[in-house]
Parts: sequence; structure tokens; C-alpha cells
Amino acid sequence: MNGAHWLVDALCAEGVDTLFGYPGGAIMPFYDALHGSPLKHVLVRHEQGAAFAANGYARASGRVGVCVATSGPGASNLVTGIADAMLDSVPMVCITGQVGTPLMGTDAFQELDVFGMTMPIVKHNFLPRSVDDLPNVVREAFRLAREGRPGPVLIDLPKDVQNADASHLPAHVPAVVAPVPGASDAALHAALAQLALAQKPVIYAGGGIALGDAVEAFRTFVEATQIPTVLTLKGLGALPHAHPLNMGMLGMHGNRAANLAVHESDLLFVVGARFDDRATGKLAEFAPNARVVHLDVDACEIGKLRTADAPVQGDLSISLTRMLPASAAHPHGRHGAARFAWRDACLHAKQQCAPRYDAPGDTVYAPALLRRLSELAPDAIVCCDVGQHQMWVAQHWRFDDPRNHLTSGALGAMGFGLPAAIGAQMSRTHEGGPDAQVICVSGDGSFLMNVQELATVARYRLPVKIVLLDNQALGMVRQWQELFFERRYSEVDLSDNPDFCALALAFGVQTLKVDRADGVEAALQALIAAPGPMLLHVAIDQTANVWPLVPPNRNNTEMMDADDAFVLVQIAEPLLPSPATDPAGALPQCAIDSI
Amino acid sequence: MRYRLDLTLRQAEGALSRVLGTAERRGFRPLAVEGEARNDGDRWHLQMTVEGDRSADGLHQQLAKLYDCLDVQVQPCS
Repeated sequence: MNGAHWLVDALCAEGVDTLFGYPGGAIMPFYDALHGSPLKHVLVRHEQGAAFAANGYARASGRVGVCVATSGPGASNLVTGIADAMLDSVPMVCITGQVGTPLMGTDAFQELDVFGMTMPIVKHNFLPRSVDDLPNVVREAFRLAREGRPGPVLIDLPKDVQNADASHLPAHVPAVVAPVPGASDAALHAALAQLALAQKPVIYAGGGIALGDAVEAFRTFVEATQIPTVLTLKGLGALPHAHPLNMGMLGMHGNRAANLAVHESDLLFVVGARFDDRATGKLAEFAPNARVVHLDVDACEIGKLRTADAPVQGDLSISLTRMLPASAAHPHGRHGAARFAWRDACLHAKQQCAPRYDAPGDTVYAPALLRRLSELAPDAIVCCDVGQHQMWVAQHWRFDDPRNHLTSGALGAMGFGLPAAIGAQMSRTHEGGPDAQVICVSGDGSFLMNVQELATVARYRLPVKIVLLDNQALGMVRQWQELFFERRYSEVDLSDNPDFCALALAFGVQTLKVDRADGVEAALQALIAAPGPMLLHVAIDQTANVWPLVPPNRNNTEMMDADDAFVLVQIAEPLLPSPATDPAGALPQCAIDSI
Repeated sequence: MRYRLDLTLRQAEGALSRVLGTAERRGFRPLAVEGEARNDGDRWHLQMTVEGDRSADGLHQQLAKLYDCLDVQVQPCS
């Protein structure tokens, strides 16, 4: 047994059953060890596809995604997918071949300092220079990827370490992942005191809820406290779409009512969110009158961009559950009437700001198409690319489960969608066949960034459905050039796109086309009914924009809409007059017996 | 503001680069670095002086999160 064989056995011991990769010189001993192993290796057609596929696999399943590449260009091609996992807190272990240790530092063929290159974009990375290092490295890599706030870990594996005799190494035993402790009693007490004082609270919830397996605890908390809730891009689905208290997404392309509610709130109860600039708009004017209770598993996020009046660091589910009895009593306490009036005002605003889908004309209206598809495939896992279509999905898809929305949130990496869909479909395909419908929603710009992965879809006969919204432009950039650069359109025209249907057919993927609104229903029905992979090409209006929009460096109440696109209007009216506030510092005492 | 950082690190490959890189990426300019490897469990003992306008608590949290960082103390200095 050599180091590579030992590693394959160790991956099996860690519960890995599928990995995504591409072979090459410095990783050949590992690929030799894979031959005949129980691990299922998915051969992608570009290493970036491997990283995104492992990323999608991890997001859809909650398990560690594993990708493999050779040294040099193979490893550097992984970088964008690793960075995406870092910024969106996705558990991954990335294995790269490296030239042999005697050649390291000599500029050898396909030698790159991948260890150094990836240092800023991984939770940690390892460079084992001896086969004896492997047991600790593999154990720690998987532990770190899973533990606390998840993230990617890279193992850069020299070829001679792979080839070295490993017969003396013990069988791999995975590390026990330490549970994240709950917050302190004092922190929970302080949070409850802030909550009891609030008359206009809003819950601002993000991707940390799904990452922390806190969805049920979160939903119970929202229901019990009756607090209007806004969600980040990655928080979508944490509360069911149709839940009355779900105000929708906040931020740059958020729901107008959600942004207004946040702006008028007197308490922001932040759960697993991080004040990202796309959510806050102009930070100095974000929720200007609100105190902040901030729950997060990662202490680094609390106070990073907005000071928390009550920081609550720890496991989200534990914290929410321990706060539940006392916080559930607040709506019936001394501010109960104000709280209910505030809730009702928010819900009224939500109704007033609901999107409409009765767009005039014969052209396909992308928001209506996506809304209809989400009704036809309510349990589908949706993998987005990046651009206008990504925001339309966020605005109009009816998400009921945050793990069903796979999107490159923080990095915003075009090319994410198709390989992520491959990974998601792999994670939900068993001996009996697929147990989940996976839909990739892409744009004509993003799709060509990893179009080669159609070959992977075809090779493994993955029943991924692709909805390609084609406006023959880099739509989001074009929209910004229209609005903020005086219509000087620079390098956004894609009218010379290839024939996407012919292209897909060349890879062996069947296709459909729709270019009129009256053809959408039949096309979507056919797409959903198709047993295998299918690409639906949708021709949309080249000038369609994503509305509403908060312009850069504006606060979130200064939203532009189609009708007032060139007139910035301060639309915010207080949803309720501000009630008299309590004397400064007069925080109520809460019973802490229950926390 | 200037801060003095007292760090204890694993003597692991990349530990020093990781600490310096984290401080710089998080908005702190290194002004002085001094340290040595000691035989007390294969550890680096490192003192750094950095300058930056951002929260020192934030830097402390980011450094403390590093796998190779076993201990970090951050103190204002002149």
C-alpha cells in the first residue's frame, strides 16, 4: 500500500462516496489508487467544473464535497470554485497533486505554489511532505471543513508522498466534529432584553440558518414571536415562501416592503447574516434607528460591519430554542399592541409591493416564466449562474427550503450554475435513480463559461434541466451601463452567440425553444416531463432589466423601479409613527430561568 | 492606531505567511515583526506591530480563527 491507496481508503472512511476531478501528471498515483476503489469519480471537462460540482454537491447534501486536480494548471483552475466555497461557507476538501518534494522550489514542470496561492481562500491548507503526515492531515482537513462555520480545506499532495510506502500507517479514523456551543446565558439575556424593548422589530436572516441546521428552530421562533422577517439571497427558503411573515429578500434587488420594514425598524434581530453590502446598501443609513441583536456561529462576523447591541455568538439552533419561551411572551407583553400593529403594517406593505406577472406583449417575461416553473417544480433544487437571471430567481422563485437554492452569493461567480447542478444531481442520485429534480437557470453569458460540462451531463445521463435565458447580452452589466454610465454600452453585446440548441445537441443533450409568451406553459411542461437532460432556450427581451434596484451608495429606501428609472425618489414613508421610546438604558428585565 | 500583537503559532508550513497575510488583508499594515522558533512544543513565538484604522477586536478574532494560531493578544501601543 502506498500513500495514494491509503488516502483512497481514508476518503472512504470519511464517508466520501463521490468525488469530482480531472487527472494529470502529479496526481497519477492517486488516480491509479482510485481504479477499482468503491469511490465514484466524476470526470469533468475542466477543473473549475470539478470545484463547482463538489461545491454544488456539498450545498445540496450538507456533506463534504471533494474535488481533485493535478498540479500547476489543474490546481489553479480549481481556484475560483474554492474561493466560492470559502465566501459562501461550503464544506469542501480539495486534493491537488504536487511535484515531488525534491523538485519543489525548482520551477519544475507543472509546479505552482498552490499552497501559497490558495492561502487567502481556504479555511486551511496542508502540504504533507511525508507519508507519515497523512493521517493527521486528512483527519484535520475533514474536521475543519465540517466544524463550526464550514469552508474549504486544500491538501497539496506531492507525488513522492503519494508513492511512498504507507503500509505502516494505521487505518484512518475520522475525527469527532465538536458541536458548536450555545451562547452564554448573559448574551441570551441581553438579546432578550433588547427584544422585549422593541416595538418595531424585524428579523434579518441569512445563509447561516441552513448551514447551522437551524431551519426548524428558526421557523418556530418566527412563528412564536410574530416578527416580520426579511431574508438575504442565501437565506431564501429559511422561511417558506408563502409564510405570511416572510417579507422576501432585502437589499439591492430586494422587495421594496422588506427594505422599508428594515429601514423603519427599531430592532434588527440578525440570524446568520453578515451585513453584506448587497443587502445593506449604504451601510451608514441601513436600519438607522434600529438596535441590533446579532446571532452568528462565527465571532468574526459580529460587529464586523455594524456594532451589535447584543452579540450572541454560538450555535443558532440552541440560541433560538433557548430564547423561545421568553421571546414568545413578548407579543403578549407591554408592547404587544404596538408589535401587532407593526406586524400588520408590514404585511400590508408587503401586499402593496407584491410583484405582478401580467406583463403586456408577446415576448417572454422571465419573472413570470420562473414563477410558473417554481409552481410546476416546487421541490426542485435550483442552481443559478450569476447576473440578471440570478436576481429574477431570487425574486420570483417560491423557495421553501434553503438547501434547494444553490447560488454563488458572495463571490458572484459566472459559470457556477451548470457544474453545481451536476454536483447537486449527483448528491441526490442513488441506485434507484435520481430522487430530486435539479434545474440550472443560466444566462447566455454565464452558460458559455462552463459549457463544456454539458459533456459531463451527457456522459452520466444526469437528468438536469437547463433553462437558458438568452438576452444576447451581459444583461446586468448592460443594465448598469444604461442606468449609471449614460448608456455607453461597452463590451456587453452577445448577439453573435452560438446556436445554443445546436451546441447542446452536439453534446447529446436534447433541447426545446421558446420565444413567445404564449409558448411558455407548453415548453415548461415538456421540460419537466423530459426523462433525461434537457436544455430550454428562452429568448427574452434584450432590454429587460431587474427591478427594483437600489443604486450604488444609496440607502435601501431609494429604490428605482421601471416607471421611475431615471428619477430617484425618496419613497420611504414611515409604516407607523414612531411610538414613544423607553428612557435610555431602561432595558426590561427578562426571566432567564428558561434560557 | 498602532497595536502590538503577541502570537503563539504552530511551527507549521505557511503559519507565518498566514498571519502576516491575514493582518494585511484585514486592513493592518505590519510595521515590525520579530520572533523565533522555540522548542516548547514546536511553536513560533511572534511579536508584530501593526497599524490600521479598523477594529482591533476584529483583527484579534480573525487571527484567533487561524488553525495555526494557538494564542493571540492584541494591545494598543504607541
